[in-house]
Formats: sequence, C-alpha cells, structure tokens
Amino acid sequence: MNRMLLLTVLGMLPFSLFAQLERSLVNANQPVELIFHAPRHINLLTVEPLSKKSMHFAIMHTFGPLDGGIENLFGLDNGANIQFSFEFALSNKLSVAASRSSRDKVYNVFGRYHIFQQTQNGKIPFSLSLAGGAGANSSNYDFLPEPAPTFTERMSYFGQVMLARKFSPKISFQLTPMMAYFTDSRAIYQIEGTENLYVALGFSGKLKVTDRSSLSLQYIPNLNTDLRNNFGIGWDVEAGGHVFQMYFVTSQALNEQYLLAGGNGTIGDEFRLGFNVNRIFATGQKRK
Amino acid sequence: MKRLVLFFFFITNVSAAQTYLTESGNVNFLSKAPLNEFNGVSDKLNGLIDLSQNLLDFYVDLNTLDTGIGLRDKHMRDNYLETEKYPFAEFTGKLSPIPTLNSGTKSPVSAIGKFKIHGVERQIEVKGTLSKNARGELELVAGFDILLSDYKIPVPKLVFYELAEKQEVTIKATLKPKK
Repeated sequence: MNRMLLLTVLGMLPFSLFAQLERSLVNANQPVELIFHAPRHINLLTVEPLSKKSMHFAIMHTFGPLDGGIENLFGLDNGANIQFSFEFALSNKLSVAASRSSRDKVYNVFGRYHIFQQTQNGKIPFSLSLAGGAGANSSNYDFLPEPAPTFTERMSYFGQVMLARKFSPKISFQLTPMMAYFTDSRAIYQIEGTENLYVALGFSGKLKVTDRSSLSLQYIPNLNTDLRNNFGIGWDVEAGGHVFQMYFVTSQALNEQYLLAGGNGTIGDEFRLGFNVNRIFATGQKRK
Repeated sequence: MKRLVLFFFFITNVSAAQTYLTESGNVNFLSKAPLNEFNGVSDKLNGLIDLSQNLLDFYVDLNTLDTGIGLRDKHMRDNYLETEKYPFAEFTGKLSPIPTLNSGTKSPVSAIGKFKIHGVERQIEVKGTLSKNARGELELVAGFDILLSDYKIPVPKLVFYELAEKQEVTIKATLKPKK
C-alpha cells in the first residue's frame, strides 16, 4: 500500500516540478564590474578592464601648487603637466598603451593584464591585475656643459600588482604594490629622488556618493626613500562614455615612474589641482 | 488503486506532450531616444508553454544582454538594471484565450500575466503570434513596451536624450515539445 502511495506521489511529481522553470544564471561566476569608474583613478591605474577592441583615451592634467593663491589663480598659471594616454584592449584580459607626459617629455609604453576578476557569488573575493612598462625621457639636454644623457640613461621602468575589491555597491578599494626603476636619476631630471629603485604601496579608494559620482582617494607611501608620500583626494563623475575626475594631489607627476620618484608637496598648501578626462571608445564591435 | 496510479502517469504524459520548452529564445530591446538609438539582444531566453495547464513561463538572464558596446553593457547592468540584485526579467502568465493551433498558420495570441524586472512586478498584457511548424515545434513572436519608470529604473537628466524612457521589447522563440 505504501509503495502504491509512493508511486502515486511520484506520478504526480512532474506537475509540481514543471509548473515553472527554475531560474538559473548563464554564468554563475558573473564578475563584479565597475569596481572603479575608469582604468585610471586619480593617477593610478586600476583593475578596471576594457572590453576587447575598445580604446581608453585619458587626458590628464596637474597644475601648479595652490599656495600661489589668487595671483596665480591657485596654480593654474604655473603651467600644467599634461599626459595623453591611449590604451587599446587586445582581448578582455590584455591591453597595451602608450602615453606621453609633458614633464621631462616622457614617452611611456605599458601593458595591463587582468589575471582574474572578483565574482558576484564571492568565489573569487578580489580582482587581480598586473601592469608594467617602460618610458624614455625625450627632453633636449644639449644646453648642459656635460654630455647629454644617452638613450639608456633616459630610460625608466615600472611594474605593479593591483588587488581590488568592491566591498559593497558603494565602497571599493585597491592595493597597489609598485616599483619604479630609473637607469640614471640625475639631478637635471624633474624628480626629487636620487635612487635608482623606488618601491611604494599605492592605496586607492572609491566611495560612491550618487549613482554616477564618487569620492576618490589616493595614498602612495614610499617604502624605500625619505621622499614625502603622495596623497590625493577627488571627485569622479560618470557621464555616458566619459568619466571626469577632478582632484587635489601633492605631486605634478602623472606617469608611474615619476609618481614614485618625483617627490611630493605638503598636503594642503601644496596641493595641486588635477583634472582627468577618460573616454572609452568602442571600435570594431558588432552592431546588431 | 493501481488504476489511479496509471491515471496519474497518464495525465502527466499528456501534459508533457502539451509542454514546449526553449533555452535559446531571442530577446531584443530597442531604445529610441532623440539623440541615440540602440538595441540590446540576448539569445538566452528560457521559456515554457504548457497548453494543457495554460501556463506560460519565460525568463532571461539580464547579464546576457549585449548592446554592442562593452562599457554601455556594464553601465546597463550596474546602474540601471542592477543585475547583481535582480538578475532576471521574468514573465509568468496564461494565454487568453487558448488558441487552436493548426500546423503552418500563425494564430494571433494574447497573454496576461506578471512581468518582473528590477525587483518590480506588474500585470501586463503581451500580444503576439503563435504557430506550430512542420516539426511540431511552437514558434512564438511577441512584443511589448516597458516604461522604465514603471519599474523604478530612473533615467538621469544627463542621458535623457540618449536613453529612451520607453523600451520596445520583442521576443522570438522556437519551443520544442518536451519529451
């Protein structure tokens, strides 16, 4: 009799089983996206990947120190350091980039590689990316009494690891152990450091205030030099394909090597106004 | 008692013969704003049509929607649909009335049911056509409009000219009989 009952229940089961479809995700390991608004956050690179074949163009500026007051329009008269940076995604994981920064007329080439991304289900708790590159100082030093630096002596390199996590929809944080190496750090270069190797730990923070804007923070303590530490605080605004970043920062440097070796002003009076425009272009993507 | 068991097996089988399923239906939405027109597609529409019980059940993983621009997709998922919290768009309802399907002819159909997206559920009516093809599969074409504000998806003033408040949704699916 019991067996009969069981059979009856089994016979009825399909009704309840197939009443509705079970909801299931196509990709259970959906990555956490937009940990940061853009591949740049104030001056540091982030783990934010570009989609394959899309291009990221960043125009970055930092002006003179605020302590010049209204006479120098809070540093805007003092000549800006400007960096143009183009980054192109060869795949969803790898991108290559070239930039040019007006401080010492440095041309940089670098790459970013995303090893893994934080997932929404928590199986991977953070995103991990690498970046590294090389730069050449192209300033003219013919005016020097001594021989101008050779090409090798003009080279500098950087490498960094980026670990980032979106702790909540509002709060994201990135830890960036980074190093820079100058084959020659002569006094004529616009850097304060005298060492060849610079090691630092970058911290980037994002606090989402509205749906499309965030408070941003940057702190880069030096680990092997007595140089002042870099500090920046800013405001990111997302507008369609653009991300605008306005900030106050202690250094005029915009590329990684100069960020570490360039030296910093004091927080407050020697803050400099900075402004980045990030634009993502989608090229060669399918239109349906 | 034995008869009863057989009876249940029997109607289960009947209902199975009247049940059609798909996991690869096509969803398309079209946003026609004054300055920008774009669409998004997914080929991952899951659907069930049970003619004997008159049950329609459809859902799509919104993470699979593709507008052709990676960053726009990210913004769509993160800022608008909030797919981490609300990953699916779902419709559960019934046909009214149940059409008589003859092979090869398209019958206009209308479905009434609950549509849910972004955590908001609303009663909607969907119109379309249903037909049975030579292989005994159901072919469904349907369309409906979604007003983003109905589902608490705000369109910021900044993108008002680029993102339409009204999204035109069309679905196309071939549902195979359940074996």
